[in-house]
Amino acid sequence: MGYINAILILCGINIIAALGVSILTGYTGLFSIGHAGFMALGGYISAILVKEFGVHFVIALLAGGAFAGICSFIIGYPAFRSRLRGDYFAIATLGFSEAIRLLLNNTQEIGTIKIGAAFGYMNIPSHTTVLVVVIAVLMALYFAHMFVTSQYGKNCIAVGQDEVAAQMMGVDLLKTKLLALFISAFYAGVAGGLLGFYFAYLSPSFFTITKSSDLLAAVVFGGIQSLIGPVITAFVLIAVPELLRALAEWRLIIYGFLFVIVMIYRPQGLLGYVEMNLHFAKSWWAKLRRKSKPAEG
Amino acid sequence: MTTHANEILSIRHLTVDFGGVRAVNDVSFSLRNGEMVALIGPNGAGKTTIFNLITNAVQPTGGEILLNGRNILGKSPDQICRLGISRTFQNIRLFPQMTAYENVELGLHSTPRYSLAEAFLRTARARRIESDTRQKALELLEMVNLQEHAHARASSLPYGLQRRLEIARAMATSPQLLLLDEPAAGMNEDECNELIELIRKIHNLMKYTIIIIEHHMAVVMELCRDSRIYVLNLGSLLTVGAPQEIQNNPDVIKAYLGERKNARDLSAS
Repeated sequence: MGYINAILILCGINIIAALGVSILTGYTGLFSIGHAGFMALGGYISAILVKEFGVHFVIALLAGGAFAGICSFIIGYPAFRSRLRGDYFAIATLGFSEAIRLLLNNTQEIGTIKIGAAFGYMNIPSHTTVLVVVIAVLMALYFAHMFVTSQYGKNCIAVGQDEVAAQMMGVDLLKTKLLALFISAFYAGVAGGLLGFYFAYLSPSFFTITKSSDLLAAVVFGGIQSLIGPVITAFVLIAVPELLRALAEWRLIIYGFLFVIVMIYRPQGLLGYVEMNLHFAKSWWAKLRRKSKPAEG
Repeated sequence: MTTHANEILSIRHLTVDFGGVRAVNDVSFSLRNGEMVALIGPNGAGKTTIFNLITNAVQPTGGEILLNGRNILGKSPDQICRLGISRTFQNIRLFPQMTAYENVELGLHSTPRYSLAEAFLRTARARRIESDTRQKALELLEMVNLQEHAHARASSLPYGLQRRLEIARAMATSPQLLLLDEPAAGMNEDECNELIELIRKIHNLMKYTIIIIEHHMAVVMELCRDSRIYVLNLGSLLTVGAPQEIQNNPDVIKAYLGERKNARDLSAS
């Protein structure tokens, strides 16, 4: 049971971070290969708040997310201001997250707080349970849905589809992109916090480029402009390698192969443009009622 | 040049160089509120470049552009849109994966009408604003006769309907000045007549000031019956005049057809 719980928790954390990447990459069309950096920022800040200052862990999670979000402006503002092209922006995010990882790797202490450099930050209070993760995932999904269906989210989609046309129609590109980046960094930050509260310790080695590319893979496989697609793939991409431990060494090779297949045959991703909705349930219910009516009459 | 009280757009000595090429050369003209004029000229004359300059997709080398007497040079395209200038594109630029309805709706909420907190919580006020927006978007679709295609993906619509959808989307930002870049391109005669009717209708109904770039001379002559046509050639303003004058102007015929003598069929082209 403990093993299954562990997998569920890790899947849930991955789903939250992937939802963040989905808002940025899937909806706004900005590729990031540096979301592990935002996870690290959120993770360390929420862990420090709980361990050193005795803050309630829910508040610490939100604060960690907000901190990651605010830090995203450091890279977002100059990049979007100078209209850095998509692929360059992706490289900038990679540089940013590597810089954060290396900083953490070489920082023994911040003031009197010992974060342990490469050995990791130890003895973080443990708060992440299956219940906490399930609630967090449901809330993350709910708010992501609210965002992408709002006027703000639709502007993000427009920017993703045709930046020039969106701007000509009055969309403020800088604000819209910064907002998408903030929200997506916030999600990653919260996921990082949950990770720390689960393992009870954090190490810079959790937040390498492999983590970032896993998240991006979840969005590319899962589908652009879809929330449910990345959720499913984020789950599968964690759960399957865990269950098939024997194939662990082949994981990256299989990923690469799948990437190529998806790009050739389904460039929009497996569930690209498929929105999470209850239409199928509604039509099923309508059919059921149609059937039962004549019987009543 | 004096500024008239009801002058909406005034372009003065507008010039732009692309490398060594002077694409627009010292162009000046102005429009009064509610006018509909056309901008014509052979390919490469700089017509679309003038639209790009007005919407600041391209920065001019010199000159100024006044909207209601205020200089709009250096403002970003989205600011210019909010000041009341909207456009369509020569090569259609709809949001391809959105439905026709969503394309129009975007123009209505490109500046979101409620706060971010209201977006996440979807308060009653936010939902009311959304249903107002939906209503307006459907009205605009109806105005361009696309109500039946509201939920079709924009990229799946036939070409002529995409052009009409672009007009509806441009109208959604509630502009004062509407720039139509070759709205009749690729249309047959029937579709052209429908388009003329449509542009007339929105011009009368919405009181827009309209500039049209168009190669279909029949459309231009019909729409600008009572106003002016500006002719551009090689970046400079060649002449201005009523349709009849333009049709018979030897310089215009020369610009379009070179030095050939027999150029009667300019109006038929």
